[in-house]
Amino acid sequence: MRSFKDNERSLARLGFTQDVDVCRVKANAGALTNFEVLNLINSKGASKDTTRVIAAIARSEYKVCDYLNETVASTQTLESVTTFSDKCKDFKLAKAEILNIINIRPSVDFKALLDPIIEEPKERGIDTDGILELVQDLLPPLPVVETQMEKDQDETNNGEES
Amino acid sequence: MFCLSELEDTVRVPPSDLNLPLEVAIKKALQKLFLDKVLSIGLCVSIYGIKSIEGGFVLPGDGAATYKVVFRIVVFRPFVGEVIAAKFKESDSNGLRLTLGFFEDVYVPAPLIPTPNRCEPDPYNRNQMRWVWKYGDDEFIIDDSCQIKFRVENISYPPVPTERAEDAKPFAPMVVTGTIDDDGLGPVSWWEACAPISDAED
Repeated sequence: MRSFKDNERSLARLGFTQDVDVCRVKANAGALTNFEVLNLINSKGASKDTTRVIAAIARSEYKVCDYLNETVASTQTLESVTTFSDKCKDFKLAKAEILNIINIRPSVDFKALLDPIIEEPKERGIDTDGILELVQDLLPPLPVVETQMEKDQDETNNGEES
Repeated sequence: MFCLSELEDTVRVPPSDLNLPLEVAIKKALQKLFLDKVLSIGLCVSIYGIKSIEGGFVLPGDGAATYKVVFRIVVFRPFVGEVIAAKFKESDSNGLRLTLGFFEDVYVPAPLIPTPNRCEPDPYNRNQMRWVWKYGDDEFIIDDSCQIKFRVENISYPPVPTERAEDAKPFAPMVVTGTIDDDGLGPVSWWEACAPISDAED
């Protein structure tokens, strides 16, 4: 009773074929910012569980969580990100560029960081200084390294106590 | 870096999970099937949610229930032109290798490192080579002291190899090629120190 599809799928699991025979309804149902992914994993319980064993989250998801916590996504909130992308519409930026800016958070002292993100700003008449000011206002930067190290120390202390 | 993909698949829930609520059991089966695996759309990171479940047939000779599920997953698929912060992993004469923690196959080949540069044997690590960028009178070393920002140039999905040498690197089903040859890219410390110079360049 095994169909052709079942056979192909088991071959894929053994590593012989690359494509699992999955029907794709929509390959791209929407881009996500780093913040939204971090929010998703945290809402599943990653942030509350310091032992990382109790919550129903896979180890690979924890690795993603670790990576995202070191980027500015860890300091953003839903309101700041939505307000920022709404205001960006006035600046004639492409959606991919807005996504890039939210993920990277170029700071005003780091003007060079905006160059690889926005293509041909002068030809398109884009106000890069205005964008940097908006970033400064709405998107918080990463906390200073010392604070992060203190946070790590607190976490290990909690782990030992529990 | 991430996007949502909607997929439809036939999921087999093993008999041991049939006492769990249906959604939980199906999510468990989906996670086992998709998480941390590379499909043609990218690396599957997380199950976002289930849209619809149909079926629940038990095929003859099998104790498990089979459902047809439409669900959404979060895939890691950077787009060309995206700037991503990564950590240095290793380097050799062909170029650099960067890692994102959950994804370790980001390569910056030698032509995409800013010129003029040179490659020298690493004094701290006998097996590795170190890349150094010479800009004016200063020399900038590429190492693991800070995050490295790169821009995605290309994503490729090499086919599964049929034969491999014994000591070859583990097969990478998804390879991201990046460049650090532009303003603002490369180790973060390069630009923190040189902010006034880069303004003068423009």
